[in-house]
Amino acid sequence: MRALLWVIIGVVGAAAWGVLALHRGETVSAAWLLLAAIGTYLIGYRFYSRFIADKVFALDDRRATPAERLENGRDFVPIPKWVLFGHHFAAIAGAGPLVGPVLAAQFGYLPGTLWIVFGVVLAGAVQDFTILCASIRRDGKSLGQMAKEEIGPLTGLAAMVAVLSIMIILLAVLGLVVVNALKGSPWGLFTIACTIPIAVLMGFWMTIWRPGKTLEASAIGVALLLLALVGGRYVSENPSLAPLFTHSGLTLAYLLIGYGFLASALPVWMLLCPRDYLSTFMKVGTIALLALGILVVLPPLKLPALTRFVDGTGPIFSGKLFPFAFITIACGAISGFHALISSGTTPKMLRREGDARLIGYGGMLMESFVAVMAMCAAAVLDPGVYFAINVPLGGLGGNAASAAETIRAWGFSVTPEQMSALAASVGETTLLGRSGGAPSLAVGMAQIFSGATGQHLAALWYHFAIMFEALFILTTIDAGTRVGRFMLQELAGHAWSPLGRTSWYPSTILASGLVVAAWGYFLVQGVTDPLGGINSLWPLFGISNQLLAGVALSVATTLIIKSGKARYAWVTLAPLVWLLAVTLSAGYLKIFSPLPRLGFLAHAAETALQVQSGALDPATAARLIFNDRLNATVAAGFMIVVVLVVASSLREWVLVLRGRKPALTRETPFIQSAWVS
Amino acid sequence: MRTLWRQIRGALVRLSGMPDYERYLLHCRAHHPELPVLSESEFFREYLETRSSGGPTRCC
Repeated sequence: MRALLWVIIGVVGAAAWGVLALHRGETVSAAWLLLAAIGTYLIGYRFYSRFIADKVFALDDRRATPAERLENGRDFVPIPKWVLFGHHFAAIAGAGPLVGPVLAAQFGYLPGTLWIVFGVVLAGAVQDFTILCASIRRDGKSLGQMAKEEIGPLTGLAAMVAVLSIMIILLAVLGLVVVNALKGSPWGLFTIACTIPIAVLMGFWMTIWRPGKTLEASAIGVALLLLALVGGRYVSENPSLAPLFTHSGLTLAYLLIGYGFLASALPVWMLLCPRDYLSTFMKVGTIALLALGILVVLPPLKLPALTRFVDGTGPIFSGKLFPFAFITIACGAISGFHALISSGTTPKMLRREGDARLIGYGGMLMESFVAVMAMCAAAVLDPGVYFAINVPLGGLGGNAASAAETIRAWGFSVTPEQMSALAASVGETTLLGRSGGAPSLAVGMAQIFSGATGQHLAALWYHFAIMFEALFILTTIDAGTRVGRFMLQELAGHAWSPLGRTSWYPSTILASGLVVAAWGYFLVQGVTDPLGGINSLWPLFGISNQLLAGVALSVATTLIIKSGKARYAWVTLAPLVWLLAVTLSAGYLKIFSPLPRLGFLAHAAETALQVQSGALDPATAARLIFNDRLNATVAAGFMIVVVLVVASSLREWVLVLRGRKPALTRETPFIQSAWVS
Repeated sequence: MRTLWRQIRGALVRLSGMPDYERYLLHCRAHHPELPVLSESEFFREYLETRSSGGPTRCC
């Protein structure tokens, strides 16, 4: 009977994929996309994750977890598995799985969806799950510590430098997404600006006035936030208030940099933690709402399954389907950053080893589902509208008429009137050229939600979606800046010990300033980039995130081999090989491609020629050329670090497999759990 | 009814990564009855400081 059920799930999933792949012509219902994804997740979870749990790690509920052995009532605390699932999911899912699929939709919905769904089952969820298992067996140690102990101190240091530099690029590119969503949008900026005083109020409420009353504080926070959302419309329609909240991208970038510095240097209870708290509830709530909206409305997908841009001429970002679809969608398919969460707070709270399957593997499937929903939200738009919103204004010829012309030449139709009516319906002055993914996702979400609630609420839903994305991007920015500051202080402490004291104010100010300056530089570079910034920064982020996944999978493979399970090493080795192929070729192309839109060095050379012909002034050109070279260096740096980590792991594997080194890992010895008899 | 509410509240608090003070008190009473316990406010601030000084708690 059970077997029959799984056969049915398999057949339905496969049939849905068939419909998606073979469908030609008008539109196809989003229901097929959801069925295909969910069917594949169920099969992957039931069979593959169980295989990994039983054969590779031999998870055993009788073995006491760190939360049981080391319980201290604070960070080591056993919590129920569904609560931990929610907590873990909220920690791993941010703006990444929402933005990547929207950008990759320029290839059509099919390639991105295939990668999101099969990538997660075979690679992303495997990474999160294996690192979580490894960390549970090692008292909740971090990825860096495991790399250091199991491979070598140099690898540990390389991993740390990689994490820090990836963080810088991540913060810059997420900052760029927020800036592009909020520039010239008084409604959006007002709502987001309000989150700062709201968070401070919550901070005082839950630590000073009513200590520990976090739920009260959150209820107040959510209510005020919704009030700010509604109030935003009033501000945007008021001629004396609106200009106060209407700013250019560059001004917003500097405001964001100042904010990041403050959030990193202020005590956490005042701003960072309450905002984090608020964004968790908003995140879980909105994602549930989005899933419900898509399931109720089941909107038709208007984007073709494949577009002509698979040939590499895409206007949102350049490069062919392989490898660029696979680095544009990092989060949602596989994200190296998750390895830091799976080896951070989560392993310290697991009640039973067996729960790791739901939390590690299942949590990542959930994130992948978020990415599939983001893909749906992009694909419900008319293709012409999708390109009008997402292609930078420079690529559209600068105005509405030229944009319509350009998009018609690509084979899609959109009129200037259609775009201005759409902008007016969501309460914005323009939606043209708002690259970065957030505005088009918000338009898609507004369409889905107002399909269920009525068109008159479209503007409110649009700004709700923008607020929701900006809220957790800002949460990532302030948490990330702070973590970056601590890592920098730790590294600097090796050089001169007072710098390593995180409570010493001069060191804190200096380190916060350096981290903010680093991501701020890339952010400003992106905002002022004539090509729109996303074209150069998003691939850099994708490459770095996927390379971090490479580091995590190398560590996981090492642990599997050292624990005497070399015959199962393919579980992590296969995704590792695929990721190396994708990221190293993407990195190589970004640096050395002879096409100026793709290769950093070729773009620098083209810019130099433009100065000679007088088309560009020397000062701007010098800046652009410097940025191109800097980006090329950063990409090369990432690639070198990862090749080093993989090479040193490979050496370790060979030594162990040839019997020249004992197959020993530093697992904590088995202790019988008192909770399971 | 009371315990149910306490469980729901504990779950919501935990969902966002905040520690559960009541749970901490239970733990202290059970395992270290001789040691002084932190007040709710102290417990909170200490937790917030240590949590955000470790590795990343939020992804992309």
